[in-house]
Amino acid sequence: MSAPAGNRAAAALLVPLAVGAVVSVVLGVYGNLHTPTGVAVNVAGFSSAQSVKAWLATVVVVLALVQLVSALAMYGKLGGDAPAWVAPVHRWSGRLAFLVSIPVALHCLYALGFQSFDTRVLLHSLLGCFFYGVFVAKMLLLRKDGAPGWSLPVVGGLVFTALVGLWLSASLWFFTRSGLTF
Amino acid sequence: MKRPGPLFTLLAGVVLAGGIGIVNLVTGTGVAPVAGAASAAGAASTPSATSAAPAPPKTVAPSEAPKPTVPDPGVPARADYAGRVVGGGASVAVSVRDGHAIAYVCDGKKVEAWLQGATAGGKLDLKGDKNAGLTGSFDATAVTGTVTALGQTWQFTAPTAKKPAGLYRAAPKVKGKTGKVGWIVQPDGSQVGILTTDEDSTPAPVLDPAAGTATVDGAPVTAEPISGLAGSGDFR
Repeated sequence: MSAPAGNRAAAALLVPLAVGAVVSVVLGVYGNLHTPTGVAVNVAGFSSAQSVKAWLATVVVVLALVQLVSALAMYGKLGGDAPAWVAPVHRWSGRLAFLVSIPVALHCLYALGFQSFDTRVLLHSLLGCFFYGVFVAKMLLLRKDGAPGWSLPVVGGLVFTALVGLWLSASLWFFTRSGLTF
Repeated sequence: MKRPGPLFTLLAGVVLAGGIGIVNLVTGTGVAPVAGAASAAGAASTPSATSAAPAPPKTVAPSEAPKPTVPDPGVPARADYAGRVVGGGASVAVSVRDGHAIAYVCDGKKVEAWLQGATAGGKLDLKGDKNAGLTGSFDATAVTGTVTALGQTWQFTAPTAKKPAGLYRAAPKVKGKTGKVGWIVQPDGSQVGILTTDEDSTPAPVLDPAAGTATVDGAPVTAEPISGLAGSGDFR
């Protein structure tokens, strides 16, 4: 009984994780081979493309905190049953966070590329590639009924951790150097 | 039971990325020639012929796993770069000569900084007055990094620059006192510069890059090129 169940669980995990890994590697390879253009589309009202990115990423992190709290509620970690509105809040804050992150990531990838000239930059490049891979894996995992119960929290936690790392290694770094500029 | 929601989420992200990508491509080729591919390719083909490093560019394509002890054959000992920061708000020039680098960042109006420092293995960590700094890396084709001046931080990628493009400096007399001018001439021929005196900083008068002269405060001034390739400039 346990062996076939284990196999099913492994099979359910395999495809999402494989697809996620491919996404990460493709992003990294593209960022490394593509010649950075340096060109960026700015958003009106901000002083530079960097401050746009720093603030968009901050929005994403705030939404990710909503993700964390709503996930804890759905798993009953905040005591009692979660109200019915928690699940839609989790879904839509996640979608919004993902969409807001896209312009930031695209600028990183297209204008700057995968760089490794110091530890912060290397860490940020690696985390960026990892983040979208593990996000894709999590999205695909949501659709698998046979996946083990621990897998979704673990992968979701990795998404959150990677995002916070990305924010610390770029937005926070930017704010400490340039102040809270818009 | 298949839930389509997550797939729609991913799809929406891909569509958004595609849309922004198209905008990037359109504006990138048309408006801001920031280290554009055309100028980078045009300028990058020649300087290694005159430099000391006979570096065949990009022979080491998978350049991950950095080995700090082995010098990267793609790193030239002498090179000059000029380009603009991301967003186009300032110009930046970097000149490298035998382990030392001089860089200048300038917005052509008020903000400027001279930066200096040692290089190792294609890495730059340069310092200037008033907490100005530049970190980055360079190879046979371009320099990439981050530069901070007067509290503003920019990212940049600058292609190699061949004379008359590059970095210039002059120390003219302005109203009896010594001023300081820096110019950056881009590969496309455009230039920015700032004249700094004890009183303030103003846009520099136009430099004739071919002759290396400008007229400051009514008097002709000779500008000194800061070039790693040509070996001119005060590299320490």
